[in-house]
Amino acid sequence: MAVRALAWLAERSATPVYIACGQDGDAMAARLAQVPAISLQHSIRHAAILLVAGPYRDADRPALRRLHDQLPHPRATVWWGAVPLAEAQDAVTIAQGDHPVARLRRLDRNLLRGERASEPDWLPDEPPNEWRGKGDHGQGGEGMMGGVPYGRPMAMMGEEMRDALMLDAMTITIGPFLRTLPPGLSLELTLQGDVIQQARVVTPAYPASGGASEPLLRAARMLESLGLPDLARRAQISAMRDSAEGLLAAARRCGALLALPAELADVRARLEAALRGGTAPDPGEEWLVDRLAGMEWQSALLRIASFDPATLAQIAPAAEPDEDEEDGDEKERAA
Amino acid sequence: MTAIPLVFALLAAGIWFAAIAERFASARRFPSAIVLAPLWQAARLLSQQRVRTEYPDALNWALAPLVYGALAVAGLSVVPFAPGLVVAPLDTGIVLWGACEALTIVAVFLHGWSANSMLPLIGGYRFVAIGLPAMLLSMFVLIAAALPAQSLAVGAIVESQRSMWNMVRQPLGLPLFLLLGLAISLRGPMDYGDASDLSGGTAAEVSGPHRLAWGIARLAMLTAFAAMGASVFLGGYLGPWLPGPAWLALKTAALLLVLTWLGCNLARMPAPRMMAALWLVLLPLSFLDLVIAGVEALL
Repeated sequence: MAVRALAWLAERSATPVYIACGQDGDAMAARLAQVPAISLQHSIRHAAILLVAGPYRDADRPALRRLHDQLPHPRATVWWGAVPLAEAQDAVTIAQGDHPVARLRRLDRNLLRGERASEPDWLPDEPPNEWRGKGDHGQGGEGMMGGVPYGRPMAMMGEEMRDALMLDAMTITIGPFLRTLPPGLSLELTLQGDVIQQARVVTPAYPASGGASEPLLRAARMLESLGLPDLARRAQISAMRDSAEGLLAAARRCGALLALPAELADVRARLEAALRGGTAPDPGEEWLVDRLAGMEWQSALLRIASFDPATLAQIAPAAEPDEDEEDGDEKERAA
Repeated sequence: MTAIPLVFALLAAGIWFAAIAERFASARRFPSAIVLAPLWQAARLLSQQRVRTEYPDALNWALAPLVYGALAVAGLSVVPFAPGLVVAPLDTGIVLWGACEALTIVAVFLHGWSANSMLPLIGGYRFVAIGLPAMLLSMFVLIAAALPAQSLAVGAIVESQRSMWNMVRQPLGLPLFLLLGLAISLRGPMDYGDASDLSGGTAAEVSGPHRLAWGIARLAMLTAFAAMGASVFLGGYLGPWLPGPAWLALKTAALLLVLTWLGCNLARMPAPRMMAALWLVLLPLSFLDLVIAGVEALL
């Protein structure tokens, strides 16, 4: 009785969805921006439904599986213009041209009422790699630090690049489905605190999507990283209507341009151009990974999000794998 | 002891009001009955699984929202609802509030650290870096507000505003204090702990009832802060016609609206720029506020 009452109340709230954008997924996500019944989440842990929007690459399959298994129960996956993975039982598919809101709402309601079973894990509940530490308790690093036990890099002291202090360094992989990154882009970052010491492109971003509305979709991603979700949603809606009217003035009022320091003047110029619906050209002479070294987290995400797809394809191609990197070395989870 | 039910009533009403104001400010008017939307959201989170990361510090992870919420209650305990109507009538009420502010850093850091995950951890220590100068800012403006009362008791500070509110007497005080409110409730331009660029920061890995508890604790701290701000700068329970608790509730609601609006409509600077702004601009401004209050007290 109590469970049924809880479900009755819960199904009246907006459906929390995590959208994993494939090719053209960005523009598809924008179609959901003006639907109050759907709430797009920044963390997979906050969602009930994983919405895979647009075709994805074979290389993204492992990340998609890991992403799925982080969804809390009761959970479901919807394939919107995407081919379901073999693991997906009783897959819900929606054609790319169709609007998914009604199906998402119905699925959410069925999950809450227990009329549809929550999806099981797609990956076995075991470490993704074998134990590769040295000794009974050693993990392959020094003392209690460093090494890559089970393929996951542990923190290890290293010189901080700005002041040479010895601080913990940690390597993680982000993307290819992180909402604040261009869809498809996956980066391996070595961080000390929130400062990037080293970066490597794991998978490049998907080619341009969204057509003429691409600059506004890009602006929306930057506004999200600036802590302006409402303005970002407005930019997405404007992208769907092909009109950037009033966006730049609204961004100015919110201090979006003022918030960017002089070191990020390039980002500011690109944001301003994107809010006008255009693109500020970049010479594309320096690799993305070189432009990220020494940047703190939010600034780095803003800089990455500011590049138009053509420039990004030029400055952030997939890196050659390290020679000492073994096959199947899956480091930190994606997204 | 009638003040104890008043504390919890103000907290509950403030949490509800702030949750509605957030939805209204963000123009997400779904469902149409916006007043009940927080209840529906709470039911959803209660229906969801509470996930567990790999090897979390489970005890501290569970304790963090409780500590955060308890700090809000403790802070509110020194706020008077009417002359003599206060849970903890301390002569050093402002000091207790300052301790609650400072310990918020511990609660938020614990929340980020305990998840054993990278993004929450970054959220945790980024909050520590920004939280510390923001607390200093608050200490100076609160001391400045205490000067006309010549007392650190919140009741005395309220009584000192019978002729003029501190908001008018010390115009720099309230704007600077509001920045701290945004910081300790992890909101908008000062949200360095639970920010969207970190996929939710310290809350990136939480779901279900845990996320509900954290959300309630954040709103409780926001409410406690608004009540303290109303008492220290807007004359608290003072006002004609209505009883003291009603005036305090109205002024608290007004500050909640201001904080919600600021949270939704101001961009968040990258952390180094905010650090520079805090240490180089805002802290000197808080000194200036203190100097103005000191000169006025001498005259």
